[in-house]
Amino acid sequence: MALSSRAGVAWPPVLAFVVVVGAWEAIVRAYQVPSYLVPAPSAIWTALWFDNGSIFGQAAITTLEAVAGFAIGSLIGALVGIGCAYSLLLSRAILPYVIAANTIPVVGIAPIVILWFGSGIASKIAVTALLSFFPLAVNMMRGLQSYDRTVMDVFHIAAANGFQRFFKMRLPSALPYIFVGLKLNVSFAVVGAIVAEFVQADEGLGFVIMSAYKNLNMPRLWAAMAVTALIGIVLFAVVAIVERLVIPWHDSMRDPALTS
Amino acid sequence: MTDTGVRFADVSISYRGGKGAATVQAVSGVDLAIAPGEFVSLVGPSGCGKSTLLRTLADLLTPTSGSVTIGGASPREMRLARKLGFVFQESALLEWRTIEDNVMLPLEIAGVAYAERRERARALIALVGIAGFERSFPRQLSGGMRQRASIARAMSTDPEVLLMDEPFGALDQITRDRLNLELLEISQRERMTVVFVTHSIAEAVLLSDRVVIMSPRPGRIRCILPIDLPRPRALSVRHEPRFAELAALGLAELEGGFV
Repeated sequence: MALSSRAGVAWPPVLAFVVVVGAWEAIVRAYQVPSYLVPAPSAIWTALWFDNGSIFGQAAITTLEAVAGFAIGSLIGALVGIGCAYSLLLSRAILPYVIAANTIPVVGIAPIVILWFGSGIASKIAVTALLSFFPLAVNMMRGLQSYDRTVMDVFHIAAANGFQRFFKMRLPSALPYIFVGLKLNVSFAVVGAIVAEFVQADEGLGFVIMSAYKNLNMPRLWAAMAVTALIGIVLFAVVAIVERLVIPWHDSMRDPALTS
Repeated sequence: MTDTGVRFADVSISYRGGKGAATVQAVSGVDLAIAPGEFVSLVGPSGCGKSTLLRTLADLLTPTSGSVTIGGASPREMRLARKLGFVFQESALLEWRTIEDNVMLPLEIAGVAYAERRERARALIALVGIAGFERSFPRQLSGGMRQRASIARAMSTDPEVLLMDEPFGALDQITRDRLNLELLEISQRERMTVVFVTHSIAEAVLLSDRVVIMSPRPGRIRCILPIDLPRPRALSVRHEPRFAELAALGLAELEGGFV
């Protein structure tokens, strides 16, 4: 039952992919659409595997930047969120600036960060960290404040100390929020890495996209874009799978087939 | 077995209704002594301060004036010594923990070794009648079963005083009757001091040695009704004339509080 329903969920997007890509290929060939406007899927496929310079090698660099930036940004975001949840003074003092800073477009900040951290991988990680910091900070704070007051009374009567309250109650209660923040972070992380590479880089997928654009090598540009999307999907899926393993008890994770 | 009684001496509790709002007198001049091992119910309409009184016993509230002692110690000392158990209207179980892990939570916080607390939890889970659900999660259990687990948790540290704040208020009548029966048996066997808050006179008469009837605004004790029904009691005690007599007496006092 579970297997067949899982297959039942999997086939519609696969079918949609096949139909769209097939129609795309057919239309481009039938109307001889120029490759610089819309390259055929087959041309993108060829560019992906056979063009000079491996796209996958560049993708590894971008992935490294995204993952490292995500990790650093999430860590800082988590700490800021914990601080703000525990100190009203701190949250009042810094939250307005955190929110204001978040409205600054990353394209504007990236040149400054590159000036500070150099044109190598460190500056890309810094931009990514900056971008993937805010969602977890805010969600961590909200999550830590979302505990059940009666459960807090239970801990009070059990004479629990601050660490026990944090690790046995407030942090587990916050986990659903934390994963909302992490999923947003991981989406922003890939964007951050690509945008930082746009500004100044000599490697990575952002660099591949920019140089392909300058050379009007559109199949290569589309191939790099497809790989970027794939990285985003895979990283998001990893976080979603971890979420499923960590909070199987939460409502959002409830599988109707299992509980009924 | 316990030798811990409870004493309220001229207890008044007031609090501000909000910023700039007038002070609300929740409880006024309450004097009450509860003997060790006694089962006492606080009954009254909403706003009579019965839950407020109970919360002072658990050190969740501090009286504005007067004193509250449990076995000669302050509620705070009793709480820190982990000699209090509290059952809330909501079961307040941690949804990410199994029933067993929920029941042993207070022991875990107290630093009791795993093997020991697990053994204690299993015994309590059997005592409250949900054996077989040790590894289930709270959301897999009915409201009545969750409340049983909550009672087991409150009893895990072997408290001298068990405080219950409308523990069966959210349950349907049949489930409520069954849990009343179980609580009757448990309290008769364990002889803990129990302070029980409820809206229901019938529930109070069934379970208690004495029923304290309170009137609202400000909350004060209207009268104390000794329940002379013989123990051990069963649910069938409700069909006896003396039960009906006591319940009617209590109800009359309760309604008198509104005049």
